[in-house]
Amino acid sequence: MVALATLVVVLVIALTPYLWLLMTSFKTRLDALADAPVWLFTPTLEHYPMVFLDKGYLPMVGNSLIVAGVSTALSLAIGVPAAYVFARHDFAGKEDLFFFFLTTRMAPPISVVVPMFLFFGYVGLIDTRTSVILAHSTFNLSLVVWMMRGFFADIPREIDEAAQMDGHTRAGMFLRVLLPLAAPGMAATAVLCFILSWNEFLYALILVAFESRTLTVGIPGLVTPHGTLWGQVAAVAVVATLPIIVFTFLVQRHLVRGLTFGAVKG
Amino acid sequence: MNLSRWGSGILDRGVGPLFLVPALLLLVVLLVGPFLYMVGVSFTDLSFALPGHDGNFVGFENYRRLMREDPVFWQSFGTTLVFVSGVVSVEFGLGFALALLLFHHVQRRRFVLTLLLIPMMLAPVAVGLMWKLMLHGEFGMLTHYLRELGLLGPQTALLGNHDLVLPTVMLVDVWEWTPFVTLVFLAGLLSLPREPFEAAVMDGARPWQVFRDITVPLLRPIIALVLLLRGIDAFKEFDKVFILTGGGPGTATELISIYAWRVNFRNWDLGYGAVCAFMVYLVVLILCAVSYKAIYWTEGRAVK
Amino acid sequence: MTEHTKSRFGKLLRLSAAVGSVSLTLAYAAEAGAWSLEEAAAPYKGTTIRTIGESLPPLEAMDKLKHKFEERTGITVVIEQYEHSEAVNKVMLDLNSKRGRYDFILQPHRELGRFVANGHLTPIERFMNDPKLRDPAFKPEEVLYQGLWKEISWYEGKAYGFPFTALTMYLWYRKDLLEDPKERAGFKAKYGYDMQVPATWDQYRDLAAWFTRPEKGFYGTAIQGKRHEALWYEWLNFLYSFGGDMMEAKSGSECGPIIVNSPEAVESLDYYKGLVKYSPSDTLNYFWDDVMVAMQQGKAFEMIMWNDATYAVEDPSQSTVSGKMGFDLIPQGKGGKVGQVEGWTYLIPAYAKNKEAAYLFIQWMMAFDQQLEQHMNGGASSRPDVYAAPDVQKITYSKASMDTNAVAIAKPTIPESPELTEILVLELSNVLAGKKTSQEGLDDAALAMNKLLGDCAPLKFPVK
Repeated sequence: MVALATLVVVLVIALTPYLWLLMTSFKTRLDALADAPVWLFTPTLEHYPMVFLDKGYLPMVGNSLIVAGVSTALSLAIGVPAAYVFARHDFAGKEDLFFFFLTTRMAPPISVVVPMFLFFGYVGLIDTRTSVILAHSTFNLSLVVWMMRGFFADIPREIDEAAQMDGHTRAGMFLRVLLPLAAPGMAATAVLCFILSWNEFLYALILVAFESRTLTVGIPGLVTPHGTLWGQVAAVAVVATLPIIVFTFLVQRHLVRGLTFGAVKG
Repeated sequence: MNLSRWGSGILDRGVGPLFLVPALLLLVVLLVGPFLYMVGVSFTDLSFALPGHDGNFVGFENYRRLMREDPVFWQSFGTTLVFVSGVVSVEFGLGFALALLLFHHVQRRRFVLTLLLIPMMLAPVAVGLMWKLMLHGEFGMLTHYLRELGLLGPQTALLGNHDLVLPTVMLVDVWEWTPFVTLVFLAGLLSLPREPFEAAVMDGARPWQVFRDITVPLLRPIIALVLLLRGIDAFKEFDKVFILTGGGPGTATELISIYAWRVNFRNWDLGYGAVCAFMVYLVVLILCAVSYKAIYWTEGRAVK
Repeated sequence: MTEHTKSRFGKLLRLSAAVGSVSLTLAYAAEAGAWSLEEAAAPYKGTTIRTIGESLPPLEAMDKLKHKFEERTGITVVIEQYEHSEAVNKVMLDLNSKRGRYDFILQPHRELGRFVANGHLTPIERFMNDPKLRDPAFKPEEVLYQGLWKEISWYEGKAYGFPFTALTMYLWYRKDLLEDPKERAGFKAKYGYDMQVPATWDQYRDLAAWFTRPEKGFYGTAIQGKRHEALWYEWLNFLYSFGGDMMEAKSGSECGPIIVNSPEAVESLDYYKGLVKYSPSDTLNYFWDDVMVAMQQGKAFEMIMWNDATYAVEDPSQSTVSGKMGFDLIPQGKGGKVGQVEGWTYLIPAYAKNKEAAYLFIQWMMAFDQQLEQHMNGGASSRPDVYAAPDVQKITYSKASMDTNAVAIAKPTIPESPELTEILVLELSNVLAGKKTSQEGLDDAALAMNKLLGDCAPLKFPVK
């Protein structure tokens, strides 16, 4: 009973701010800024078309999708084979190299974003989505390596042996046997990468050009000297968070594992 | 025929390096390169703002300045330590307690757990704005109810008060990350072997004793892991606090990453900014090295 | 018009003889039949020029006007609108990577020094002296407020552009409450004099105190106390008015003795801090955005606010107090009638790829018709003849805006000036938060400024 009550309280605390945001996105300016919190109101639909159509925020949804999607795909394409090597091969300095991957995941963006900007400027990629995609790949790549190593390790070695008996080369075995077995883990990893990239702020803020701004970068643009447009801010924030919530439900089984870099199996 | 077999043999033996190289290449070009560049810049006077500061070598001048002449940096370092130790200990305590509670009593956990995930999955920028809306001194929903309850004076606001603002942003972080701690501990608790518990109950141990003598020791690696992962992330905190307060009032919430941002993107003092950024990275690296071991303890593998 | 222009000559600003210049311009236009925009733009037909600025009504107005230019010239204009500090950051990154993404830029003039010193800009004379580009009808020497132009777009005696907006701050107050008989009677009984538009800072404080009713969610004023540039801008009004300044320098491009910790400055900060208790609870987390909302929502009686934001408080679709507002010069202290000016200026980067086309667009935007249109939509023109237009005269805040233009004081634009701003924002914020006294905070600011600027800026008021 106590537990149930606590749980309810915890859920209320955890979810109310989001509900409030959701409600604000449907409130008129008068309701949103009222002295006493307004819980019941006549909803208005003006903010969504206003911000996404009139203010041109719609393309940002596309940009966010492209950046998150491509950086996820890239991280998987490069990271999954590397993870396989870590799971199945032995070589000198392997664990140190593995640790190196972790440190890259932990790199504070603030400490590398300036040189990254200069580098992308030098190679002519600045202002393109490519630059953000690559920047996001840096932290996603190590996440992939860390998570996927665990998933590969979960596959019994006997399967490898059986595949070799069947005449598969190592590369063939990886592609035709192990990858399909690791597919569920890969899906979970992909979703987590997508979320991290979608939510990222600082790299995108510095590296991206006007036409390729992502949603998170677009939100502060609504804080104007003429009064923050809370309804529109909320509308953008809702759109920026809804896919994440959907995804969270999709992969909840593997999230703990992902968030602890494969250390804890959820 | 022979040739192709030979070829695939090479390929076969080459799988290891072949599979690793792209990943390493990407990281070296995009992360290690810039990082080394930053370390290099930290020995120069490079500034986008001041004329003549084109990256002339100045030796350890920037480091000396950091150690000797910049009280603001050390103040923000101190603020960061308060922030990190505060949020990590509260999140740890709350999250652990919640996990124990849920583990023993709640039946259909999955759905509930997923709901709990929502706060930490939202974009930090959105979290910052969301709480700014809730905590606004005039029309903030939470402010209103706190005042109704008499917990907050009519002339006080959580984000505008020098003494209350740091605890407030810490609470927002607690809101965001406590579920993470809970979930990790739940997963840990579920993975524990049953035998020691059954044996203890047979021996007539009280719940508190079971907890102290069996649960905690078994969970030790996870405890270490949680503390360190949260510690690293809290140390890097930027987006949320930046949106909520911008570091103020005064320097009340100026975390180290916000200070580094200021030096780099306000003053464009990149040489000195590189030193500040490097300090952030250094602390994170140290925490990382420690957490690496913790993770290996959990996996039950020894570090070779 | 002439009444206003005659009203006051500023410390640095010299108004041009506006009426005379209008007729001169007309004469030039008549004789300059040879030059036409279409012809001048012909070589650049089909090019695209790109600019960046703060997403504010004047820029939105430009966005709506640009099609007229595009139709006449075949040049496409792309405008990137960003939030204030992002607009500045993007330009810094662009200029320093020398890639020339922007063909012209719109920047606050405190950035001028570091742009010029690093060779990032092309002086505008180059285009003005080019007969192919220069519209003979455009005479900036005559049609602009010369003082504002010099302040906002010149550096070390050279012109780098034209003012995009001349942003000043002045007094906003609730006229309806000031005229309310009940309030007037109560106020007189308490303070012993008639309630009036505050002419002195004592009156300003009395009004703030009188109207502060937290239990009703109403406050005498609202200050922009967040750690943000807005705080610095706002305090400058008080500093100047109390007779202080940051440095003793004649122009923005010069360095001079530091006087930011003078007794006048300390007094102004003490006074400013005293207003916190008459402001909403989280006034220390407010910047221009939040005080705007406080006024629009009818929660504050008076404040010092920006001219280009005024339209939004008079816009009934966003504001509950439109039509109830009064506007005037800020109250006077020892410094007399003063105002704080921050201009955004058109500039052409040295790395720009289509400089000529950019100049043609800027020149076109500076013409009377475009300036009037932009001004009517929330801009802040630097042309006196715009203020003389009947439509502009009808705007409730035009007089306050013009009066402030005439008494605006220059601020530093040296390469270090953005860093000076950071220093002061930090110390002002410390003082407001109660961590330091006004004297301590400003002493620390003076020391930090001195350390940054070195020998050219000695301390005039030694720190104990």
